[in-house]
Amino acid sequence: MNRQLSKPWARALAALFAAGLISCACGQKAAAQSDANAGSSADAVAVQDFENRVADYVKLHKAASGSVSRVKKPTDSAEKIEHYQHALREAIQARRQGVTQGNIFTPPICAQFRRLVGAAYRSDSSHIRTSLRTSEPGTAKVQIRVNHRYPDDEPLQTMPPSLLLNLPNLSPELEYRIVGRNLVLRDVEANMIVDVIPRIIPQ
Amino acid sequence: MIMPAKLRNLTMVALLAAAALILRLPGGNPSPVTPSPAFQAGSAPAPVTFPLKPGSVRFAVIGDSGTGDSFQNDIAQQMVKVRATFPFDFVVMLGDNIYGGHTPQDFAKKFEQPYKPLLDAGVKFYATLGNHDDPIERFYKPFNMGGQRYYTYNKGNVRFIVLDSNYMDPEQFNWLENQIHASGSNWQIVYFHHPLYSDGRFHGPDTDLRTRIEPLFEKNGVNVVLAGHEHVYERIKPQKGIYYFILGNAGELRFHNLRTSSSMEVGFDEDRCFMITEVAGEEMYFQTISRSGKTVDSGLLERQQKAAPASAEVKSPDAAGAEVKGPAPAGAPAR
Repeated sequence: MNRQLSKPWARALAALFAAGLISCACGQKAAAQSDANAGSSADAVAVQDFENRVADYVKLHKAASGSVSRVKKPTDSAEKIEHYQHALREAIQARRQGVTQGNIFTPPICAQFRRLVGAAYRSDSSHIRTSLRTSEPGTAKVQIRVNHRYPDDEPLQTMPPSLLLNLPNLSPELEYRIVGRNLVLRDVEANMIVDVIPRIIPQ
Repeated sequence: MIMPAKLRNLTMVALLAAAALILRLPGGNPSPVTPSPAFQAGSAPAPVTFPLKPGSVRFAVIGDSGTGDSFQNDIAQQMVKVRATFPFDFVVMLGDNIYGGHTPQDFAKKFEQPYKPLLDAGVKFYATLGNHDDPIERFYKPFNMGGQRYYTYNKGNVRFIVLDSNYMDPEQFNWLENQIHASGSNWQIVYFHHPLYSDGRFHGPDTDLRTRIEPLFEKNGVNVVLAGHEHVYERIKPQKGIYYFILGNAGELRFHNLRTSSSMEVGFDEDRCFMITEVAGEEMYFQTISRSGKTVDSGLLERQQKAAPASAEVKSPDAAGAEVKGPAPAGAPAR
């Protein structure tokens, strides 16, 4: 988790803290700083909560992966690959029965992600919009259901690099994807939607 | 075919002059071809012959190929035909390798069957992931991705760097920074799915990606960048000293989708095509061939030095003063 402090959002968070401390030391705008510190603290808590939930999911993924016949290295057999993906998804789904939207993206985490996406758009809106537009516009019609398969005949929207730079790092088992205006957390090998934040991308 | 307006008159003259032009593919019968518009701009079109030098790196390029339809099969058959005279050793796949579902039947119909003669002949395929690909494809051994979303491999004096442009996260950036480096003697060819420059109307360039990775390419002496995604063929005028190609029509096609642009060197949006390439020392020969066997572009690129020139030029073999040899002697070693 330490390496995540090298992320721009983490540095920004640290800078916020630092700025808050310096300002407090100077005794300027004490009330405003108090609010800012409270906000920063809440942001840090939300990010930590997100990381904990992701870590729990990765544990679950690994346990599920260990319970099926895993493809550990490349194979000539497309059947084996398909079987592995299918079996892994089923094993994860079985361990996550009853899981609903918000299992990872809780309201405070959603709020924090909306701020992070907003910050990315404020700094580089045109490039992000262009990147999304040049990908595959058809994905808006994809039906998103948590704990279900991402339709494998639908293209995956490209993630704009500027957006990825602003979001917390993920383990290799997971990735972010934009689907329409929604941010999806996707299990890569199981091709499964883990959670979603609706309408996070500005119009 | 789309070319800058100022070239059109020259092109007409050159087309007439080229009526009797014969291009000889090494070891094969002379094949009449349409000369490359790039050559038409400066002088009468010159015949292009691959030198087939011993130890040279010979490969084909396809992009957006995995439709499983008759067009993909036509291109595959054309590749087999061309390989009889230009024995390429491997194929670079620029993404969208498997459209639609990813069942074993899809892999068979959209990859194994069309390219069976090549696979049976030991030709290797090196894939990158497109937005229609499931990243699980990296475990499919015939794609030679080694289980990785992004990877490198070396062939002769060429270093290939393969990126996953769908998901350029900080981890991949860090990896790229460690992998890419200016080299005194090797070519660096980078390929991925989304083009940094494009005159296609449907998608256009990914400027966010370009802003992030092009400075790395420029700083580290990348020579050639190949991309797909746009279902056309386009050779872009060298940008910051780097040669850019789009080849996204080896299966899919967006008919007449290119817009005229000053940055375009050659464009082709009327049929599917693929490219064959030979890197021999400091030179890279290329020829882009349509489904019907027509040559739609060809040329010779000279390897840029570490400090890339502001405007690298594509030269015809004659203009470059390069030795253009006839068919390679029988039994010339294929790598």
